[in-house]
Order: sequence, then structure tokens, then C-alpha cells
Amino acid sequence: MNNKPKIGVYVCHCGVNISKTVDVNELTEYAKQLPYVEVARDYSYMCSDPGQLLIKEDIKKNGLNRVVVAACSPRMHELTFRRALAGAGLNPYYLEIANIREQCSWVHKDKSEGTAKAKKLVSAAVAKARLLEPLQEKEVSVEPATLIIGGGIAGIQAALDIAGAGFKVYLVEKTPSIGGKMSQLDKTFPTLDCSACILTPKMVDVASHPNIELMTYSQVEKISGYVGNFNVEVRKKARFVDFEKCTGCGVCAEECRLAGRVPSEFNMELGNRSAVYLPFPQAVPAKYTIDPQRCLMLTRGKCGKSPKCADACAPGAIDFEQKDEIKEFKVGTVIVATGFDVFDAARKPEYGYSDYDNVLTGLEMERLISASGPTGGKIVLGKGEGEVIPRDIAFIKCVGSRDKSTGNEYCSRVCCMYTAKLAHLVKEKIPEANVKVYYMDVRAFGKGFEEFYDRVRREGVRYIRGNPSEIFKRNGKLVIKVENTLNSTPLEDEVDMVVLAVGLEPRKDAREVIDLLRLSQSSDRFFLEAHPKLAPVDTATEGVFLAGCAQGPKDIPDTVAQAKGAASSALVLMASGKVKVHAQISFVNEATCRGCGYCVEICPYTAVELVTVNKMGNEVLVARVNEALCKGCGACAAGCLSGSIQQKSFMDSQILQQIAVLGGK
Amino acid sequence: MSENLEPNVVAFLCNWCSYAGADLAGTSRIEYPPNLNVIRVMCSGRVNPLFVVNALQQGADGVLISGCHPGDCHYMEGNFYARRRFSVMKELLEYVGVDARRFNMSWVSASEGAKWKEVVSGVVDKAKEAGPFTEFRRNKIDW
Amino acid sequence: MINLEKIRDIAKNTVSRDDIKYLIGWRQGTYGFRVSPHFVRKPEEAEELIFSPLCSNNLATYLTLAEKRPVPRGQQPDTRKVAVMVKGCDSRAVVQQLVEQGIERESVYIIGCPCEGVVDQSKLEEKYPGTFGQVEARWENGKISLCFPEGKTEVVGEELLTQKCLTCRYPNPVLADINLREEVAARGNESFADVAELEKKSTKDKWSFWQDKFSSCIRCYSCRNVCPMCYCQECILDKLNPTWVNRSVNISENTAYHLARAFHLAGRCIECGECERVCPVNIPITKLNRKLTKEVTEKFGFEPGVDVEAKPPLVGYRPDDKENFIL
Repeated sequence: MNNKPKIGVYVCHCGVNISKTVDVNELTEYAKQLPYVEVARDYSYMCSDPGQLLIKEDIKKNGLNRVVVAACSPRMHELTFRRALAGAGLNPYYLEIANIREQCSWVHKDKSEGTAKAKKLVSAAVAKARLLEPLQEKEVSVEPATLIIGGGIAGIQAALDIAGAGFKVYLVEKTPSIGGKMSQLDKTFPTLDCSACILTPKMVDVASHPNIELMTYSQVEKISGYVGNFNVEVRKKARFVDFEKCTGCGVCAEECRLAGRVPSEFNMELGNRSAVYLPFPQAVPAKYTIDPQRCLMLTRGKCGKSPKCADACAPGAIDFEQKDEIKEFKVGTVIVATGFDVFDAARKPEYGYSDYDNVLTGLEMERLISASGPTGGKIVLGKGEGEVIPRDIAFIKCVGSRDKSTGNEYCSRVCCMYTAKLAHLVKEKIPEANVKVYYMDVRAFGKGFEEFYDRVRREGVRYIRGNPSEIFKRNGKLVIKVENTLNSTPLEDEVDMVVLAVGLEPRKDAREVIDLLRLSQSSDRFFLEAHPKLAPVDTATEGVFLAGCAQGPKDIPDTVAQAKGAASSALVLMASGKVKVHAQISFVNEATCRGCGYCVEICPYTAVELVTVNKMGNEVLVARVNEALCKGCGACAAGCLSGSIQQKSFMDSQILQQIAVLGGK
Repeated sequence: MSENLEPNVVAFLCNWCSYAGADLAGTSRIEYPPNLNVIRVMCSGRVNPLFVVNALQQGADGVLISGCHPGDCHYMEGNFYARRRFSVMKELLEYVGVDARRFNMSWVSASEGAKWKEVVSGVVDKAKEAGPFTEFRRNKIDW
Repeated sequence: MINLEKIRDIAKNTVSRDDIKYLIGWRQGTYGFRVSPHFVRKPEEAEELIFSPLCSNNLATYLTLAEKRPVPRGQQPDTRKVAVMVKGCDSRAVVQQLVEQGIERESVYIIGCPCEGVVDQSKLEEKYPGTFGQVEARWENGKISLCFPEGKTEVVGEELLTQKCLTCRYPNPVLADINLREEVAARGNESFADVAELEKKSTKDKWSFWQDKFSSCIRCYSCRNVCPMCYCQECILDKLNPTWVNRSVNISENTAYHLARAFHLAGRCIECGECERVCPVNIPITKLNRKLTKEVTEKFGFEPGVDVEAKPPLVGYRPDDKENFIL
């Protein structure tokens, strides 16, 4: 049934956002005389209820079968107006939006120029609207399981929430234990909670929850599919320790020939471990792992007469023949909670991090202060006989953050508070210490943060406003060269120890995750969220969510909140059990398709395949689109020489109409 | 008939990066010349190189295709295909004697509102320098 | 040496096979230097087959005809093979068609005809105007011997060969089921000199050059009809819905037509030169197509019609493709 297009054009004033620089009345009058336009109206806020009512009533009264809205960007309100059409009984894909705000009224000050351009944009939208076709949104089912990549506090929290709601969770962590950076902290600001004390109960919950399948020392190798139906392949790396047999008793680590000789990553290489190790005492799972880069048996093929760990292990859990295991499973949603890396202080050579042992990063200081750290919680310089307690300790903030020269223009958000916390802990452990903090600003924005900062200053920590230019050694002391900008005094402060408040950076292996899921990066190189204000946990890929520092620097309360947000987003999909498939996908005109296979090669989602059909008696190949896989990019349509494969709502016929209008004068 | 000396540029912007970047320029109230009109597509890979020929024939003095930076395409590979196709189409147009200043391609990400202004200004300036492209225009018959 | 007896025998045997529908070859044309395609369905018809320096026709263009013919109701499609005689350049068209699955390998029987070069018919007619009796030709010791009807024989050299033959790198078919003669040495190397010459001109000069040529175009579509790579059931340049290019014959539409066709041939044109041969108004179409062949070769290292397994350049990409033209 081919009915004549009856187009309604609606021009929005958007208050004065549009009407200030585009003459909306002139535009509406212009729209009235465009071909096939039945009615043209203008209104102050088209997206409001009364605005939408205008459209709905016109559809019913005037029998409109196409709608053009000239307003803000379709990225803003396309969904709103689609719903309005659906509400009036018109297929929601009969809508075309002309962007006369973000790309017109807001960027052109001259009213006559703005109006002329708006007329062209509306005319092009009308020309395209004439050729729009009704589209159906199909549904696919959603697998009631989630993959969470990353076992830090973000991953842990999201896992607990989703599992608690009754859905299956696969939590994959690269290192031998979950816990992430939070497990390396001593105390957390501003409450001074012991980090391990608040974290380990959650870690244990994860391990014991029936709905959570924990895969540590594992990496996601491949993810294919689409929302609701992701196929995941995980490589469980060989620990060379039998998971079932290991009791976590630790005798193997004591006996290991390399005991105390392998730098411990957990202790930021300030302390050592064995080749067979548990990353930290409260590790979950409490199963030992053999380091394949260091273990003599694995690197050289022999360890003395026989490996001491195997000899010492009563249950016989050591297994040098163990192989990696590949596990494949299906999930409906994915949460990326891969965390961050700390800024490498060696990239600020003026601070002497690589040159002097007494210059540490915040995280290294954290390990020093921690009771389970390499010094048992003592803040000391040197070892053994040369051990000395530092008296003058300085903190330098904004190292590697807010710094164009290191490529990190952003603020890392946590450093002001962790500096205050570390300063407080230093004063607690060494009451007579002189603690100074060199700052550009103090950002104590959160709940209890300002109060904590006050307390720390009252405890005697001195805050000096100035960004040190260099640190050098003189007569056995470290000298900080800095200007106190509040009284314009150049200083050369002599201290025993400097702690650099290093910022947070995206992980160095972020590219691997990006390639798995086609994530984007924002300009600060953290993963890009779908919308910075309104969709901070979504990504551009449906069904894939972000949580924690993977999306941007943040502290623990914000991370937990975001993890809960991501879990909730995943639950929305899984609880409803189904998700709508894109409507603006490709389709093939089999009559003209000559089966050359160009579209099949081009499609990034392998959504097109060649099938044999009978065309007028001949068995020939033609292309066919798998509607569940097609994401609607249109790359196939641009590569088709016969124009047989087209993208709905972006067909050649529709775009050529737009070109005809916009190209002309 | 006096020819309007303001150039007319037709641009194809991908929804996820360049169109968003152009929106950001708007949200940031960054001003730029009004000579460029946008056709929204979901991906720069959707842009059939023959659209460029058609646009010039319909009366555009310049054409721009803008997409996501390589590696960041929302659909993984669309912009790689666009890059290849247009590296060839560009050569063809120049070989036939179409001023090279009329064809442009750019990568503008969703966060590059400022870059969008630079791109538009640059493209419009180039089209202005090249002058009105009347020689290829389709003859519209005035019945 | 060409042994016409041997060629005709092979053809007769081929056509007699159960699995061969018909054979496409060449035979003498109706007058002068003309040569016609010859569809041999019965062994006797093979007597008229020839293979000579006059055989410019690229017979590969007929291979894709088969899919266009509807099967009458009640009949089964005839899935027997089609045998085709191809020179070196022609065989590249077959390979490219195989790459694009326009035909299937099992549906074609390729008879390879290593070729020492074909003459440019227009040059011949210029040298010997008014020749209406049928002329025979032969390759002889690197030259071409022409036998005129009145009994006269003339020997001509390379200067009468088509431009493409002078730089031919594929005189021997790149893919064949059987070859009619021993391999021939390649004549030249590709340097795209003709393209480079035009590239040097200024933008204005290029535009006037091509506008002058396109303005003579009468949109007869001979170029498209003869091209082995143009086999879409409905060419987009003919479509009305949507209309890419109007059918009116004026300089704007003509330019758009040629640009569009050239672009669609990018990475597919195998430079058989047939388009230029059949153009009634002498538009140097190969000069246009070869520009894109040059680009595709230089930018993507791809040569069409040489490797059946190769992936066409525009359906692939490399992460390090050049982008110095992108802002």
C-alpha cells in the first residue's frame, strides 16, 4: 500500500537556544511550502510533553505519516521523538531530525546565515523523510550470565551484586589473586579503615559465592558475538600447582631455593618473595603459584637434585607438567573493571626517583607503612646496620598529573587525599618527624575529606604551596628546590625522604582489552564512556559496561558506587531477559545481487554470508544479512558495486536526496 | 547571473565520532563558518565514494568526509575502508582535473570540538580559494 | 608458430565433450581486418576458428552472460562448462571474474592462447584505407604478416600493435586448462608512462583535456557492454531509483558516468583495452582506468586478475595504509 507521504515539520525554539540565532518563524513558513509537507509548526520546547503532544495530535488529526523535527542533535532526543511517534501509532522510524542547534544556532552568530542554513537542513530532512520506511525492532534473548574482567574492588563489588541478584558471574583476574590495588593499601582515607580489613571479607564472599566462578591467573583471549550473546574464551594460565590439592600452607615458599631472592611485585619490589609464592597473606584464592619466569625448574629444566618445593609439599600439589587451560562460555553482558597503573616517577627525572633510594612513590610508601609490607610497617631508610628512621619527610603532589609535559593533563583525583593520609600515618609512626607537603592545590572534595585535611594540618603537617623544580643530594641529605608561592620565597629544603604523590594512568596493557571489545579511549586514554554525564558506566558497545578506574581516576567510594552502577546496568539487561536488536541494519536485494562476496569480506561482524538461491531457474549465490549480528555501520553498502546491499534508513536513495538538497544553492 | 562567492560544502559525518565532535563544538559555542552542511551517517565506511562525485555534480564546491580516528571506529573497521576508498577517489578526481582543494577527509573524535572548528574553517577556506565549481554542475532544466 | 589445424582439432575435441556446452573463439569478420566472436556448438563449426594478430576481442566478457539467461519453465539449467579461448590479457579477466565469484571455476574450460600482440585496428585502417576484402594475418618472427585478398602480402612491425601490447607483461594466460602453443616472451615492463604524462599537467589542463573527450561521448555504453568486468544485472548508472546519473547526454552527466565507471573498475580493470577499441568517438578510456590501476598497484601492491586467491584491495585494508591526505 503506497500512500502519499504526509510530512509534519516541527521547529523547536529550545527556549532561546535556537530562536536567538535562527528565525524560527521564517523557518516554519519556509517548511510549509516544501514538497509533501502537510503541516509545519514551531514551539518553544518540542521535547516537552506539550511539544510531543503537538506531534501526536497532528499524526492523528492530519494523518501524518512522516515527521521531521528541527531541533537539537538527534544524539540528544532521537529516542524521545521516536517514542512520541510510537505513542501516536506511527512507526518510530518515520522520523528524521534536522540538527539546527548544536550544528547551527549555537555555532553561527549571524541570524540570516543561521536561518539560511537551517532552511537547507530542514529541506534535506524533508527530502529524506519522504523516502523513509517503517522498520521493526526485533528482540534477541539475553544469556543470564556476566563476564567481569578485573578482580579489583570494582570487579569484586559488581560480581557480588550480580551474583546476589541470582545471576551467574565469571570473574576473570590476570594476577594470582583478586584484590587489585586496594589490597596494596595500608589504610584508606578519610576514615583510616584498614584497607585489607574491609576488602578481605568481600574477597572471601566472592570466593565462596555459589553464583561466582572465580578464574584467577587467567586472561580473556577472545570475545565475539553481540549483546545478550557473547562468546568468551578465557585462558587459565598454568600455576604449576594443583588447585585442589594445595592447602595454602606455604611450606613450598619457605623451602624454595630462590626464597627471598625474587622481587615482590605486590611490595613494589621493595621486598622479595620466592619463585613459588602467594602474592600477599590474605590472597584469594589462597593457592600458591610458581613464577614461570624465575622458577629454576621451569626456566632451566632442573632445580638442584630435585625441586625442594615438590619435596616439601605433603599433599603433592606441585605439578610441573600442568598446562594452560582454555575455557569457553557464553555470557549476556560484560563489565570491564581492569583498573589503572601508577605513573612511573622515572618520567619526571628532575625528582631523582631513579637516582636516589630515598625518593619513593606513594604506593611504595604505602607498602612501607603496611604491617604486612617489607619492613613490617616500619618507616625506615636503608637496611640492616644502616637502618635509620627518617626525621624530615616531604611529600610532593601532582607528580605526573595536571602536567602537559608527561602527557597527563588531567587531575588524578586521589593524590591530595592519599598524601594527607600518608602524612598522617607518618606522624603517627614517627611523632617527632617534620612532615611537609608541597602542593599546587588541595582538592578535598568528598565526604569527610575537608575535615580530614584540617585534622592532618592540626597534627602538625606543614603545607607549602609550590611545585618543586628539582631534587638533588647534598651532604647526605635530599634537597628540594622550590618556591613558596604564597610569600614568594625561594627555598632549598633539606629532607631525609621524599614521597612523590604519583597519579593514576590507564593500564599499559589497555590495548589488549580495547581489541577484545572495540572500546574507545577518551582524550586522557582511559576507556570512553557512552556519555560523560548521563551514561558514565555504559560504553558505545551495547552490553559492555565500565566500572572503576578503568574509566577514569577515582577513589574507593566512587569506584564501589560505579561498580554497583555497572552491575545494575547489566542486571537491567539480564533481568528482562531480552534486548532489542538494531533496526537500521543492512538488507540485500537478492534480485540484483550478483554474489561477488565483497560485502561478506567487508563486514566487521561477519554478519553477511553468501547463500545459494534459485534465480529464474539458475542456482546462484547471493548475499544475505544475519540480522542479529548486523550492527548497522553500512560499510557493506558503500562497497557494493551494484547497490544491492543497502542500509535501512541510510539507503543510497535517501542520502542522494540529502545530497541533492544540500549541494544545491 | 552573479555567482554567490560563498562556497557550499557538503560533509558526511560519522555518528559516533565526528558528528558527536561537531555537537561538542556546538555545546561549547565555538563559532565557525556556516558554509558547511552535514549529512549524518552511522559510519564513515557508509560513505560511497560516488557520493562525492554526486555532491560535486549537484553543486557543492567542496566535500568533506569525517570519521573516527583509525583504531577507534565504533564499528571496528569502517574508517579503514573509508580511508582506502577515498585515497583512490581523491586521485581519480585530481587526475580528471578537479581541484584538489575541493576534496577533504578528516578524523575528528567525539571529544575534539575545537578540532572540528579548525577542520570546517580549513575546508571552507580551501573551497573558497578554489572558487565556485560551476563546470561540473548538473543542468537543472527550468520548465 | 600458430598451427590453425591443431587449434581447430583441439576445438573440435573440446566441443565434442559431454561436459562442454559450447566454445567461444574467434573467426574472420565480415570485411577488412574485422574479426568476430564465434560460438561453436558443433564440431564442424570449429573449422572457421582462427587465432591471429587481429583477434583483439576479449571473449571473457561472454562468460558472465550465462547467468543472465532465465531458464524456461520445466527445463533444467544447463550447467555444462563453457570453453573460452583467451589471450594473456583476456585470461586475467577470467581470473578476476573467478575472484569475484561472477563465475565458478568448474563452469569454465579455459583454452590458453599465448599471444605475441594484436594490432590496433584503427592504425591499420589508417595505413590501408578502403580495404574491404577480408584480410588474414599471422605472427612471423616478431613481425606481423598481412595477407590481402588480392594476394598481396605486407609485413608490418611493432608500430601497428596496440599500445597495451607494447608494455605487455602477461602474454601467456595466467590460468588455463590447456594451452594452444608454447609460451611467449613478455614484451615490456609497466611504467604507466602514459598516465604519468597526463599527471604532470596542471589541474586546469587536465580538466580541459577530459572535458573535451567526455563532451564527445554519446553514451552508447559500448565501453560497458564490452568490458568483461561490467556484468551487474542492473548497472547503478542505469538505475532510476535511485538515480545516480541521468541518462541525458551532456557534459555533466557524461563526466559523472565516466568517473563512476572508472571508480568501480579500480582494482578490477585488467587493461584489456577493449573499451577504447570499441568507443566510436575515441575517448582514451584506458588512460583513465590505468590511472587507478597505477594507484592500486603503488598504494596497495595489488594487481588484478593474476591470483585467484587474492583479496580485492577495496574490500580489505591495512592498519598502516597511508593517510597523509587526511586532516
